[in-house]
Amino acid sequence: MSPLSITGQSLLARRDFMFDASRGLSGLALASLLAGDGQLRASDDAKRPIRPSVRPDAPLAARESHFTPKASRVVMIFCTGACSQLETWDYKPELVKRSGQPLPGNEKLVTFQGENGNLVAPQWEFKPRGESGKMISELVPNLAALADEMCFIHSMTAKSNTHGPAENQMSTGFTLDGFPSIGAWVSYALGSDASDLPSFVAIPDPRGVPQAASNNWNSAFLPAVFQGTPFNADKPIANLTRPPEISAPTEAATRDFLKRLNARHLELHPGDTDLAARIASYELAAKLQLRAAEVSDLSGESLETQTLYGLHDANKTKAGFGRNCLLARRLLERGVRFVQLFNGAYAMGEGVGNWDGHKTLKAQYEVHGPILDQPAAALLRDLKRTGLLEDTLVVWVTEFGRMPTFQKGASGRDHNPKGFTAWLAGAGVKRAFSYGATDDFGHQAVDKVSSIYDLHATILHLLGLDHERLSVYHNGIERRLTDVHGHVLHDVLS
Amino acid sequence: MTRRFLIALVLASNLATGGLAAERPLLPPATSREIDFVRDIQPIFRARCLSCHDGAKQRGGLRLDLKSAAFKGGETFAPAIIPGKSADSPLVRLVAGLEEGLQMPPEGERLSSEQVGLLRAWIDQGAKWPDEVAGKEDAELHWSFRPVKRPALPSVSRETAAGLRNPVDAFVALRLEEPLALALSPQSRGEGTEGRIVPSAEADRMTLLRRLSFDLVGLPPTPDEVAEFVADARPDAYERLVDRLLASPHFGERWARHWLDVVRFAESDGFETNQPRPNAWPYRDYVIRTFNDDKPFMQFVTEQLAGDMIGVDEATGFIVGGTYDRVKSPDPGLTAQQRADELHDMVSTTGSAFLGLTVGCARCHNHKFDPISQVDYYAMKAVFAGVQHGERPLTQIKPDQHREQLTRVKAELDEIERALWTFEPLARLQPGDSMRPAVQRRTNIDRFAPTRAKFVRFTIDETNGGSQPCLDEVEFFTTEAQPRNVALATHGTKVTSSSDLPGHEIHQLKHVNDGRYGNSASWISNEPGRGWVLFELPEAVEIDRVLWSRDRPADGKFGDRVATKYRLEMGMTAESLHVVATADDRQTFGSAVAPQSARATSNEQDQAEANRLLARQVSLNETLRQLTTLPQVYAGRFVAPEPTHRFHRGDPLQPKEPVAPASLASFGPAWQMPLDAPDASRRQQLAQWITDPQHPLTARVLVNRFWHSHFGQGLVTTPSDFGRNGAMPSHPELLDWLAMELASPKSLHRLIVTSATYRQNSAARADAMQADAGTRLLWRYPPRRLEAEPLRDAILSVCGNLDDRMGGPGFDLFEPNTNYVKVYNSKREFGPADWRRMVYQAKPRMQLDDVFGQFDCPDAGQITPKRTSSITALQALNLLNSRFIVQQSSLFASRLEREAGPDVIAQVRRAYSLAFLRLPTDDEQIAATQFVNDHGLTALCRALLNANEFLFVF
Repeated sequence: MSPLSITGQSLLARRDFMFDASRGLSGLALASLLAGDGQLRASDDAKRPIRPSVRPDAPLAARESHFTPKASRVVMIFCTGACSQLETWDYKPELVKRSGQPLPGNEKLVTFQGENGNLVAPQWEFKPRGESGKMISELVPNLAALADEMCFIHSMTAKSNTHGPAENQMSTGFTLDGFPSIGAWVSYALGSDASDLPSFVAIPDPRGVPQAASNNWNSAFLPAVFQGTPFNADKPIANLTRPPEISAPTEAATRDFLKRLNARHLELHPGDTDLAARIASYELAAKLQLRAAEVSDLSGESLETQTLYGLHDANKTKAGFGRNCLLARRLLERGVRFVQLFNGAYAMGEGVGNWDGHKTLKAQYEVHGPILDQPAAALLRDLKRTGLLEDTLVVWVTEFGRMPTFQKGASGRDHNPKGFTAWLAGAGVKRAFSYGATDDFGHQAVDKVSSIYDLHATILHLLGLDHERLSVYHNGIERRLTDVHGHVLHDVLS
Repeated sequence: MTRRFLIALVLASNLATGGLAAERPLLPPATSREIDFVRDIQPIFRARCLSCHDGAKQRGGLRLDLKSAAFKGGETFAPAIIPGKSADSPLVRLVAGLEEGLQMPPEGERLSSEQVGLLRAWIDQGAKWPDEVAGKEDAELHWSFRPVKRPALPSVSRETAAGLRNPVDAFVALRLEEPLALALSPQSRGEGTEGRIVPSAEADRMTLLRRLSFDLVGLPPTPDEVAEFVADARPDAYERLVDRLLASPHFGERWARHWLDVVRFAESDGFETNQPRPNAWPYRDYVIRTFNDDKPFMQFVTEQLAGDMIGVDEATGFIVGGTYDRVKSPDPGLTAQQRADELHDMVSTTGSAFLGLTVGCARCHNHKFDPISQVDYYAMKAVFAGVQHGERPLTQIKPDQHREQLTRVKAELDEIERALWTFEPLARLQPGDSMRPAVQRRTNIDRFAPTRAKFVRFTIDETNGGSQPCLDEVEFFTTEAQPRNVALATHGTKVTSSSDLPGHEIHQLKHVNDGRYGNSASWISNEPGRGWVLFELPEAVEIDRVLWSRDRPADGKFGDRVATKYRLEMGMTAESLHVVATADDRQTFGSAVAPQSARATSNEQDQAEANRLLARQVSLNETLRQLTTLPQVYAGRFVAPEPTHRFHRGDPLQPKEPVAPASLASFGPAWQMPLDAPDASRRQQLAQWITDPQHPLTARVLVNRFWHSHFGQGLVTTPSDFGRNGAMPSHPELLDWLAMELASPKSLHRLIVTSATYRQNSAARADAMQADAGTRLLWRYPPRRLEAEPLRDAILSVCGNLDDRMGGPGFDLFEPNTNYVKVYNSKREFGPADWRRMVYQAKPRMQLDDVFGQFDCPDAGQITPKRTSSITALQALNLLNSRFIVQQSSLFASRLEREAGPDVIAQVRRAYSLAFLRLPTDDEQIAATQFVNDHGLTALCRALLNANEFLFVF
């Protein structure tokens, strides 16, 4: 669907969009950025970088994938602060048995916060779930009940053991600041079917933004149009609504007046597509105002659905996260391409606002577990019953794992990037499947060791994108989400 | 038909008709000796072939500077060199003149028979081209790696010449005169459109003024400036305008912002905590000043790398302008990684900003495209091994004015101290109702009736804790109008004691009257709990007070060995001393000491005076602190360099051999320093190398940045990558010619903006758009959407609210927040404090503000040599609905009422003049007046600020 009015279309029809975007459009840096720079050196055509051809007047219009996709859209549930694999998905009977003993071979191990004490059994009991009998802890009983939908990757590894860089890596592929988010990449590659909503939405936790804040959804050196739009059920898109001192008739008249100003100006400057693109952006903005208000209004959802998500729960944070989960579903069903759904906020005291359980893990996870569990499970359940899960990929991640030991003199676990769990569900992935493994204590990945690059490569693959070819030229390098790494985890594909 | 096709046809027909055999005898014979490529062949290529067949030009698609390319051959015949068959090799046939009309080189002297013979022998002997030379030559001869040479001015047709204003135009015209396809893609086969694009006519004056204003100072012109310039009939009106704008202090503000993008400047750490750097702004001011002062660029480079050595401390803010992870850990792996990342940022930014080289790519392995080895990377990393993130005091020598103020403040403080003594109670020798303050570690004062004396003895009978007593200084003052301390050894006073603690340099008898305070210059007796010192003055004087202390400085730490019981005696001889003060009328040691004002209880007047003096003392002490505390600047801390090792695959936990600071081996004049070279000399050496006139990249990279900012697109469209993966220059000769003109940056700007090329109009002519929509050939001035900064500045300026104060700490677009992980919430309400130019926004890293961030503001996580330019729905929403816009619209309306009076027609005229720099047409006037009557003046203002006419520069 074109975001242009009849006027806009007639103005544009003249010739302005006849040019192949790959040759650059008049004055528009966007087009030349995406197409022109750099001397492509790849000699092998099959590996030649693919830079999507972006229409300046509709940069978010849907674009072809590289090959037939299994998934049309993605929701990435990101538990920030490093959610312990040992209290959730990674069942280690040996850890229970050897609780209180030193971690063999690592008696003097210094991790992020310092020295470690002895091995400590999971703080919640594990039970077999679903038909598959997958062992999952009592911390997340509602999610556990959906074990048969999930495809676990137990052998995840991260490059950094500190939150900022590690969150950066999970969201952008790079530990450093300033690289495009996976959502921005997907948005750049595929645009979106939601012509009047952003193609990439970041939903921060009700308690606040995550630790690496906007770097999780920035577009970095991709054009700003691909940046994630941050809003949640309680905090709408910035500057979305008409200012209170402007009446509806004045607003309408102003828009009209502006349209005439711009139309006259365009007539005096025919052939410059940016002008038309900007006219189009105001029409899109008007639609976005209506649509964003509509998508954020949860009151039309049935009481049953609201209750499923925990919207009426006495726990205000849980209800808030529930609203965010419901918002995520509503965005996905309206065609938003990529939704980042955060559970956990910035550090407001260690482990207070997120999963960073260094010192008093049990007490803190007793708070965080319930906030996550029912609403996130409701989202998965709801996607399934509405059929959206057929072509929606659900990804659950955290930036790294935690140690099987408690920290010396404390009752919590330190950072551990050497082994942790992520899971996928929905479009294109195996159900009730577990891939890779950590050692007997859940410390280090030992079987089918996987990286965040691999996870990203797999997500792109499910969207029909070749992670080795999707690229943008930035300062001398054909940049990729997966840098020069990454292998699609073919074993997890259905 | 192009020349290339002609060559192909002629050659093909000759080869086909078998005319070859008959011509063979005409070929000079092959030289009979053994040929060495480097000695015999390369000089011929260099002298006669490379000017058209190298990385920069490649006429006919042939390159002879690169082994691989040379053997591949040209476009119309390949290969050009057939090893073993010199007579069949097109290279030989063309240089020997065997093909009529196809003599190579096409101009100048033919190759001599001897030279042809050498070429033949080389080919017949197998055309051996050693790989070492292939690699090295390859490195040197990529177009940007070759030395900059001033190219000859091109000759163009008479009709073209008429339209030229300066040499810039000649180079641009040259490309426009070439067949189109060749001009557009000199490296590629010329297919497609023949014909030419003609340049565009000069833009009208209002357009030129608006373009120049935004380009040079980042602000719109005023209606008065428009009227003046349009009416200026002088032939050099435009040049005068250029000079005025280049002289404006706003020029530096506009152009500093471009540079700050390139060097990823921001005022917070980034990563998780993203804490502000409140003292990073001096670097921004430095850059602004640099551009305004027209500082030679090479000096600018040097200062940013080693400014601490030449009195420009804040300039090294460049080195540490990037991210810094404040989260520290005992984990050595994490610590090593963090340090490696910090240094990586310094290396990559230096490489890309000044040299246009992606040196950072060689962190884990040799550069994939450019001749930068992994060792090169670590050699440059070693240059920065002594640089730490953080603040350091500005060490510039203070101006005289400052020194004078310091002297004045110190003198007044002395005076106040002396005046305050007069409020100390007199010693009474026995306990009474009001006791004197308890003895302290710091200054104790004993006042007594004026006493004439030649001898003074201080006897200690008890200390707190019972150990040997300590005195850091004893002073006694004359009763003169300007009291003098006559205890000083420098006054001639001699001192003896009961005993001295042996064996300590810092505890000696001489320290008791040496004028130095503190434990480290003090006397200690050798008797537990007791001891005395006796002073003999050169002559008897009248004394009325003694000051003494144990460890006087405010930050002293020693509170032991304090004389809690003592006697002070005086007399004309050592044998006739009498007691003038003791501790008997003092409060018990350890009692709280009341402030001096409270002690002056004799009368209210005294108390008031004491209070006044004390208040003045507090204020002067603060002034003193400020004067003596050097301002801090986030410009890095310099320490002894840590050892640098090559890291296997870039992994800091796999250090290999040590690497010394050195130049990149393949560029410019090579140098290497010892492994233990001190920090500053490393950075100075690097700066010297980068700024060496022989360095092929530095000047080219900079002039291209200028061009990029003037036209929205560089002659090289990858401004921070001039390597092989970067773009080829659209006008290589122009780039080199400009690089030679770099001595004064402002002259270079002037040259560019006074060219006819720059002054063209922006009309998107259909024929030219069809062929060159990207305007690579510069057939018009490419129009652009304003970037975030000039947009915000223009709104403030047009609405009448721009605060154009320069320099100093920036304003904050975010609400205050003190969480240890800084939380950024955009401000909702704005006041005059936020209405400075956006370059002065205290710019956090990663976090973009809610209104202008959407306009492709760089996040400063990585460098931004070239901004993206999006057009988005969220931009529209921000410009329509943000509090900022609503507020400015309303202030714009007030301005119009103020300046145009109550008449709506006049208000509309003024509004158009300010926002669009023109008057409304009749139709517009009618429509706008109606609109204002129906919806108010503020609504009109809001619409104008959203208009394309306001946001685009033509």
